[in-house]
Amino acid sequence: MRPRRGSRIIALCCAAAASMAAAACTAPAAAAPVPVPAPAPAPALAAPVAYATIAAQSHLTFTGVQAGAPFTAVFRRFRAAIDFSPEALAQSRFDVVIEMQSVDSRDEDRDGTMRGADIFSVARWPTAHYVTHSFEKTAAGFEAMGSLTLRGVTRDVPIAFQFAATRGGATLKGAAEVKRLDFGVGQGDWKSTEWIGNDVKIDFSLALTPKH
Amino acid sequence: MPIDDAEQRYGAVAQALHWSIAALIVVQFVLAKMAAGLPLGLHKLVLLARHKSFGMTILVLAVLRLVWRLFNRPPPPPARMSRFDRGVALGTHAALYTLLFAMPLTGWMMSSAKNYSVSWFNLFTWPNLIGPSAASFKLLRDTHHLLSKLLLAVVVLHILAALKHHFWNRDGVLLRMLPFAHARSRR
Repeated sequence: MRPRRGSRIIALCCAAAASMAAAACTAPAAAAPVPVPAPAPAPALAAPVAYATIAAQSHLTFTGVQAGAPFTAVFRRFRAAIDFSPEALAQSRFDVVIEMQSVDSRDEDRDGTMRGADIFSVARWPTAHYVTHSFEKTAAGFEAMGSLTLRGVTRDVPIAFQFAATRGGATLKGAAEVKRLDFGVGQGDWKSTEWIGNDVKIDFSLALTPKH
Repeated sequence: MPIDDAEQRYGAVAQALHWSIAALIVVQFVLAKMAAGLPLGLHKLVLLARHKSFGMTILVLAVLRLVWRLFNRPPPPPARMSRFDRGVALGTHAALYTLLFAMPLTGWMMSSAKNYSVSWFNLFTWPNLIGPSAASFKLLRDTHHLLSKLLLAVVVLHILAALKHHFWNRDGVLLRMLPFAHARSRR
């Protein structure tokens, strides 16, 4: 359930070397003769941990504005393959496939409309796909840049998230913002942003367990 | 015209509230009828959004009306009105007030049950009264429709009674609520 001891030790060594290097760099005015340690070799030894989601404890929702009032819907079915380690951002990767048919806004009429040709058009595009390209550490956590393919349109969408190790796994919580019309979500009458807001907020909370 | 209710007439505030609510009720029936004939879509959504905004406006005006009435007693019924007629008038007015609250409240709850929060003219959002539930929605929708038919019946009775007072009893009861009528007594 946990990373192998060997890899953890290597990760610790790399982290220590990196922090020493960082300390040296952040003190440029220090006396010249201070010996500068050799740059860390930064080998790709720290590998991300491959996680799967615990479906019952994982949620993917979006919030839009309809006729002036916000509404929130969930996707009941999605698969997220999360390869992540804060020490191995370069090798980390999220790959998420969302079953658009599983949209649930607690109203059958609205769900039916959203599945229809003018909104998600699930018969033609049954899934949406998000895959990351890169990760960055931020003050609040992490930011991933990735591509979202929705309704046949692919666009870059950054997501901000927090990652926390838990007993036996990890949690991943974050959010993203998209403009629905960038993806053609809303054709015909539904192109109007006066009654259906263009801004849509996506929130996710994933309970992760390491893959075996 | 005095602002508060005088001995024989409703004042400006009571009249303004009465007639604005009356006009909004007409708008509500028209919007509801138009929306009911439409398939699911943006046009229906827009009509119902306006219906909800006007409905919440009626609810606020009804609260103001009731509060105003508590502090400004309406003019008394004509002395020669029979006990029976007074009873009918009291019952009709009580039913009108009850429905002025019951209609917006069941509509509001209906929206909450369908997980459509109620916006007030896109300016702010009212909190949901109950959680999403398809069963509650159906019950509330049927109640809202039934109450709308009851409201229509009571409004018709109210209008007929006003006309009866004016043309049959000739007691000036209708004129008490007309802004531009002379405060003449026909008694």
